[in-house]
Amino acid sequence: MKTGLIASATLHAALIGFGLFSLSAPRAYEVADIEALPVDIVPVESITQIQEGDKKAPAAEKPAPTPTKRPDPVENAAKVGDNDVDLKPPPTPEAKPKPVETASTPPPSEKPAPKPAERPEPEPQEAKAEPVPVPATEVTPEPQPKQEVEPDPAAETIVAEDAEAESVKLPKTAPVPQARPQPPKAQTAKAPERKKAEEPARKQAAARPESEKKDDLLDDVAALLNKQKASGGGAKRSTEEAALGGERTTSGEKLSQSEMDALRGQIQRCWNVPAGALDAENLKVSVQFKLDPSGAVQGAPQIIAGGSGSTVERAAAESARRAILQCAPYNLPTEKYDAWADVIVHFDPSDMF
Amino acid sequence: MESLTLAAPGGELSIWALFWQAGWVVKLVMIGLLAASIWSWAIIIDKLIAYARMRAALNRFEQIFWSGQSLEELYRTLSDRKTTGMGSIFVAAMREWKKSFEKGARSPIGLQTRIDKAMDLALTREMERLEGRLGFLASIGSSAPFIGLFGTVVGIMTSFQAIAGSKSTNLAVVAPGIAEALLATAIGLLAAIPAVIAYNKLSSDAGKLGLRMEGFADEFSAILSRQIDEKVAGKA
Repeated sequence: MKTGLIASATLHAALIGFGLFSLSAPRAYEVADIEALPVDIVPVESITQIQEGDKKAPAAEKPAPTPTKRPDPVENAAKVGDNDVDLKPPPTPEAKPKPVETASTPPPSEKPAPKPAERPEPEPQEAKAEPVPVPATEVTPEPQPKQEVEPDPAAETIVAEDAEAESVKLPKTAPVPQARPQPPKAQTAKAPERKKAEEPARKQAAARPESEKKDDLLDDVAALLNKQKASGGGAKRSTEEAALGGERTTSGEKLSQSEMDALRGQIQRCWNVPAGALDAENLKVSVQFKLDPSGAVQGAPQIIAGGSGSTVERAAAESARRAILQCAPYNLPTEKYDAWADVIVHFDPSDMF
Repeated sequence: MESLTLAAPGGELSIWALFWQAGWVVKLVMIGLLAASIWSWAIIIDKLIAYARMRAALNRFEQIFWSGQSLEELYRTLSDRKTTGMGSIFVAAMREWKKSFEKGARSPIGLQTRIDKAMDLALTREMERLEGRLGFLASIGSSAPFIGLFGTVVGIMTSFQAIAGSKSTNLAVVAPGIAEALLATAIGLLAAIPAVIAYNKLSSDAGKLGLRMEGFADEFSAILSRQIDEKVAGKA
């Protein structure tokens, strides 16, 4: 019996010893890494988020637009013809003529030649430009829009012009029999526009006290009388070397792909996926939450989709909410706070199984 | 939200680590099963050796017995030696024979019965020695799986309690406890399977040896009965 016992004990000891060394932890299963594809997603932000600069300049660390040029104070001599003396080139007709100004100001040069050419031009231009859309409205038998327009002092001039144009153009357009279906269309398109523009202003005016009303009215009048055309503005002063960039700095309002991935990763680390659920498709949960500029969660995350119904779904929603609260201080770029102040996260565990 | 498959939290999953992580009930079950396994293997080895020796002894004795040597001489060589198997049966029968004739046997029928009884007793004692402890193998073979299962059930119970406490049903949380609990069943089966196989083989071997000895006892009884008849006839 002794030999048997000793043999058995040594056998077991040997077996256990062998097991300890060779049967250590089984190798973990190879889990397919979803993000292992070497595909780099180029975020649209790299295109839309451009610093101001010059498109052809080399890239520099500090973005700078093309340096501006000071205007040359001395005008270039323009030599036209065989003259020995510098003369300005004849004024181009594209300059905007103001009937009042042209009448009052003396001619810019002593040469009388351009004058006669200039004067007759503006009037036909105006006449031609204006009447085109107008006849349609005027042909209509409905007099309503006209009446409403009349009290407006600014519109009066236009109407006056229209009236002139009308008187000239009416006989031409009227006899055309094919234009019939058009009038109602033009009428509906034009009349409400005018109404829209004026009605809100009128309503506002009615609601305000008298003094303000007066001021507003004056402002409106001033705005309407301002005949100066809106111009493109000047250049941005820059003395530095131009750097690669776009015409304007476009601050990206959206989070870039990598920043979204970072946020996703931060939440995912704390997300305990509800395991063992039979139908993981139904466990999709969307949670909305607010963040303050430091990245902390403000208030309680709201479950906006899913998470109602069975206990499993509620558990999934709770796990999502817990994940958001647990990983709370989120590390996100402060300059894009507007983009991530309010975040909606969709939790979808269906891929996890 | 896209989801990454997250790796299980790295816990030690070697067998040794599993044993140490287990609760005390499961540990006790595992240690008990290990001891049972050691003991059953000790019995198996012991019995295999004993049966081989017995077989060899039987062969040797049969060879000597049928070699034509006189029974008196054989008895003299064997009586002062420790005998096993057929030898002890032979010695027991011869001792009874001698005792009866030294004192002068009255009835040959009574002598025959006494010799048979002595041989039966010797045979029973031999069989007891052969089959002793085989019962332990049988009971280990049938009960070890249940003991292991008990350990598993307790282990899974405690691991489920722990899961309920941690409020997470992630597989990574559930798996180690269940693996550790299953280790108990594995050890139970490890002890039971050899025990069952060995029990079947050893008991059939013991039966064969017993039959052989029984046959010898019957044969020797026939020889002695013939001798008694001859002696009675000679006396008369």
